[in-house]
Parts: sequence; C-alpha cells; structure tokens
Amino acid sequence: MTEPEQTDRHQRQTLILGAASLVGVILVVIGTMLVAPLLNRFGFLHFPLGFYLAAQGLFIAIIVAAFLFVKHQDRLDLRREEGESEDTA
Amino acid sequence: MTRPSHLRIPNPHLGAYYGIITSAFVSLIIMVALSEQLGAARLWLAYGMLLLPLALYVIIAAAAHTLDIDDYFVSGRRVPPVFNGFVLATVAAGGTGYFAYTGTTYLLGFDALAIGLAWAVGLFAATVLFTPFLRKSGAYTLPSFLGHRFRSRSVRIMASLLLIPPTAMLLVAELKAASVVAALFLPFSEGVALITIAVVIAAIALFGGMRSVTWSGSVGFIVGAIGIGVPLTVVAVLVTNLPAPQLTYGETFPSLQNLESILGLGPAQTLPFGQALPIAQPSASAKPFLQAFGMIGPIDMVALFLCLVIGTASLPSLLTRSGVTPSTSDQRRSGGWAVLFVSIFAMTAPCLAAFAKTLMLQDLAQSGSSAPGWLSQLNATGLGFVRDANGDGTVSGSELFVARDAIALVLPMAANLPFVCTLLMAAGGMGVAIAAASNHLFTIGGSVAEDIIRIVDRSGALPRLTMAWVAIGAVGIAACVFLMFADIDLLRAAIAAFAFAGATFFPVLVLAIWWGRFTKLGAIVAMGTGFAVMVLDAFIGGLAGTGPLQAPLASLIGASLSAAAGVAGSLFGPGLQSAEESYFEDLRDPAGEAIYDRAQRRIAAPSN
Repeated sequence: MTEPEQTDRHQRQTLILGAASLVGVILVVIGTMLVAPLLNRFGFLHFPLGFYLAAQGLFIAIIVAAFLFVKHQDRLDLRREEGESEDTA
Repeated sequence: MTRPSHLRIPNPHLGAYYGIITSAFVSLIIMVALSEQLGAARLWLAYGMLLLPLALYVIIAAAAHTLDIDDYFVSGRRVPPVFNGFVLATVAAGGTGYFAYTGTTYLLGFDALAIGLAWAVGLFAATVLFTPFLRKSGAYTLPSFLGHRFRSRSVRIMASLLLIPPTAMLLVAELKAASVVAALFLPFSEGVALITIAVVIAAIALFGGMRSVTWSGSVGFIVGAIGIGVPLTVVAVLVTNLPAPQLTYGETFPSLQNLESILGLGPAQTLPFGQALPIAQPSASAKPFLQAFGMIGPIDMVALFLCLVIGTASLPSLLTRSGVTPSTSDQRRSGGWAVLFVSIFAMTAPCLAAFAKTLMLQDLAQSGSSAPGWLSQLNATGLGFVRDANGDGTVSGSELFVARDAIALVLPMAANLPFVCTLLMAAGGMGVAIAAASNHLFTIGGSVAEDIIRIVDRSGALPRLTMAWVAIGAVGIAACVFLMFADIDLLRAAIAAFAFAGATFFPVLVLAIWWGRFTKLGAIVAMGTGFAVMVLDAFIGGLAGTGPLQAPLASLIGASLSAAAGVAGSLFGPGLQSAEESYFEDLRDPAGEAIYDRAQRRIAAPSN
C-alpha cells in the first residue's frame, strides 16, 4: 500500500471509530435517561434499574467505551506508523 | 529551550513523591482526629485541617517553579497520563461539582444526574474529537492553536477574548466556593478568606505556570478524593455495614421512600428549567429522590446534558492541558483516565446525597419538638433551618430548608461523626476548588499574555514569562475585586460558563480539526455567531428580570447556528491557503514531534 493510501485509510478508520464511539455513547445515554421511568419497575442491587443505570451503569459503560476507544485508536495509529516505516524502507 | 520528543520522559519518582504527600495528608487527618479526641478546640482543628493543605499546595507549586518557557506553558510535556487525568477530572467537576452538584442531587435526585453524565461524556468527546490533535499541534493555548491552524492573528486574538467570559465565570465560582468554606470554619471574614485563597491560587499559577498548576492540582485531586471518600465510607459502614457506599446505598431507598411519604414529600410537577434548578439559598427538597423527571422535564434534561457535553468537550481550561503529555497517544490515554476519575466522583455524589437525605429525614421524623444537633449547627451558620409554614406544630419534609452547597458538609454532621470528618469534607472541597481555580486563572492569564499582549506588542520588549506573570496577576486581582462587590450562584455560573464555551468553541474546533475546507472567515463567523447568541440570551433574560435561564437550550441553538455560519463562511468566502492545508494534514499524523516544537527547533537551529 502506498503512503497516501495508508494515510487515507488511517484517516477514514479514525473518523469511523471516533464517530461510532461518540454517537453510540451519546445515544445510549440519552436513550437510557428517557426510558429510566419505565426501567424503574425492575430492580438491581436494591436500586430501581432506571436510577441505577443513570447513576452508575451508564458511567461504567462510558469508562469501558473510553478505554476501548483509546486501545483501538492506538492500534490504528501503530498500523499507520508501521506502514509508513515499511514504505520508507 | 525546546527539548526533542525522545527526552520527554516523565519523572520516574512521581509515584513515590505522591505516595509521600498522600501519607503526609493521611497523617494530618490522624493527628487532627487524635487532637479532637484529646479535647483540642475546634478552631485549632480547623486551622490544622484547612490551612496546612493550603501551605502544601503552595510549597509544591514553589518546588515546581520554572523559568523555562516550555515548562511554564506545557509542563515540559512530561506529565504522565494518569496525573493529567487527575487534573482534567478536577477541572471538569471542580469545587462547584463538589459542593453544588452534591446539593443539587440532594434536592433534585434523579433529575440532577444529567450533569454528572455530561462531564463524563464531555471528557470522552474531547478525547475523541480534540485533544490528540491539539497535542500534535503543540500550541500552548487554545487560541494559539486556532491562530496556527488558520495562519491568522485576528482569529487568535478573537478566540482569546471569547475565552475570557466562560473561564472567568468558572474562576470566580471556584474562588467563591473555596473562600466561603474557609470563612465558614476559620475566624476570617469572607473578604480576608477570599484574599487568602486568591493569593494561594495566584501563587500556584505564577510560580511555575502549567507545571506548578499540574503538580499542585494533582495534590488537590488526592485531597478531594480522600476528603469525600473517607467520611462517606464511614457513613456507609454505619448505615449499611459495608464500606462500599456506591454499591450499597440502594439499601437505604426503602427507608428513604418511607420517610419521604411520612414527611409529605409527594411526586413533584415539572417546572421550567430556570425554576427547577435549585437556588443557593436554603431551600426545601420538593420531590422524592427517585422520581424520574419530577421537576426537570425530559426535554430540559436532554438539553442540559447535551449543553454540558459540548461545554465540557470544548472548555478552554481543559483543552489548554492538551499539550502536557509526552505524546498524542498519552494525551488520549489521559482522557480515558479523566473519564474514569470524573465518573467515580459523579457516581459518588448521588450516594452522598441519598445518605444525607435519609439521615436528615430520619432525624426529623424522630426528633419531635426538639431540633436535631446538626440542625442547630446549620441554624448557627445560616445554612439551614426549619419553618413550620402550615403551623401544624410538626415539621414536614418540605419545611426543612438547607443551603444547596452545604449538603456535603451536612452529611458528617447528620451522621454524628467527629468534627474532623466535616473538616475533611471541607478540606477536600477546598482542594478541588483551588486546583480548578488555579487552572482557570492560568488559562486566562496565559492566553491573554500569549495571544493578545504578545501579538499586539510586536516590539518584543517584554519577555514572554513577564507578560504571563503580569496577566495572571491582573486577572487574579480582577476576580478578587469582582467577588468583593458581586455575588454569584456557583451552579448557575458553572452552567452558564459551559453553555458559553460550548456555543463559542465546540463548532469551531470540530470544523477546524475535522474539516479540511474550513477557513479563517468561517472560524471568525462561527465563533462570533455562537458567542452572540449566548450574549443575546443573557441580555434578553436580564431584561426580563429572570437571568439567562434557558442557557442549555440557548447554547445548543448557538452551537447549531455557529456551525452553519462556519460552513457558510468557508464555502462562500475566500479559499484555503496552502499553509493551512499542510497544517491540517500534519495535524492528522499522530506520530512524531509536535508541530509547534518542530517549528521552534527550526527557528533555533541557525543560531546554534
């Protein structure tokens, strides 16, 4: 793969990963907030489920999403760097 | 002097240093607790617990003093991701979060949770959208980045001017939070407390700029975490028999709901956002803790969430910290840590509020005609009272008035814990507020020096650091003078600041980093439009005598119009310069040295 192709691919994948993670997290948070009153009928660890998700569950999901994003983006960056060094060699 | 990137290795002894500092603080807590049991006067306990940490912050800032430009503005780019995460989380939540968010959660229960969620998602958004690219750019301030991206002095000056209102609002809010707490426990007037705290904050920002702000702010975070964590864990053991408050506070809900119904706290009606948001003065909880959308409706809650997400993501004080880590990857990782730390705080706040509400209502239901001990203490300080409004001789839940920002301090009192726990909670809040305030102060001062004075005064007569010292000193004095004559509501000031930052900077940053066709004209029009919408909202709100009540909605409208104006300005205005295009492409390569450092090295090379 040539360097411009490698760069384009990296940029495309960066955009897709970023947009998917961010839009996914925002939609999940808003969706869960809005359906919380319905979820409150169910219980979890002595909490009403809707309240639990808004007060804790969503945070755990955001933390997991953030670290997964960091890991995947690092991998994308590394692949680009390796591709570039191969081209140079 | 700019160092090559391979020499940007974090200090390997940082863990040991912070271990020693944490041990010193824990020892201080134990000493104060022992002194209390031995009968020492409360005043001396307060001196020890509140003033010694202040001295610690200043000593650490002094130890981190520097005259090196690179150290002063970006801490030498040697801050490990975890430590940057500490400070990012501290700045995002701040003393306003520590005191006002816990109180808001007490008063609004479920309805307040959008604020905490927005901090976490906002920091995540900044990590995805902005910070690794700002790290690659290497600019010392946010306006410098915009100036470099568009090769424009006018964009840089304009961004710096527009950065001042939101950051200054947060600065005065944090300054007020810390000084009110100091005045509450120490025999100082509010004015003296304010000047003392302002001097500490200014000293932190002046000694070593970003370097001292970072190392002192990390201690603020640790003090804040211990300050809220220890008393809360003790309360959790007393109430639920387990030292894991966040996991077990659900057990209190049946008794909390029971108490709320006994004390007449029935389901609330949805109110307009401005009225639903609790005021700083003592007010009564008007809704059951668990009721979803009781006072803030679903639309307002989503608007508040989105406004704070874009506000947090584009907050200049957070983005100014984008150059401090050794690499783009580390910068991204520090965003992950910040999300983790701010989430832990946001998960803790409703837990604190639930315990406080349960304990207070329990005492109220059982006390009969005699007032509980904590209520007498609140009465004495003007932070709370009961008023038998209907004259039936008993006190209902809606007749207990507590100051919103005092809930964190009320919890240890309501749980009958030793005074040291209340002081610990206060010291934690002060630590966080001081760390956040010094960051805001450095952000404004640094930007005014770098992006206004240095650009306007091209003679170069004043050294860069002197300009920064003068600007930081002047901003600190201005904030102090403002607070001596004006009063602000922490929560409203913080929401307004995030709303201003979101409307002004979020669209311009997204377009500048992610759209190669975005031009200088587009940036000017975008920032101007977003800011103008917010000013208009504040002005109309002011004329109507209600203040900028719909700040979240105005911010979202402002951000949308700003993005549209930016796109239109870029499409219909003059095209891109080739320098802008190459800068944009360079920004997208995560590897290698920061663009700014590379340029500085090239400038310095011929003279070597």
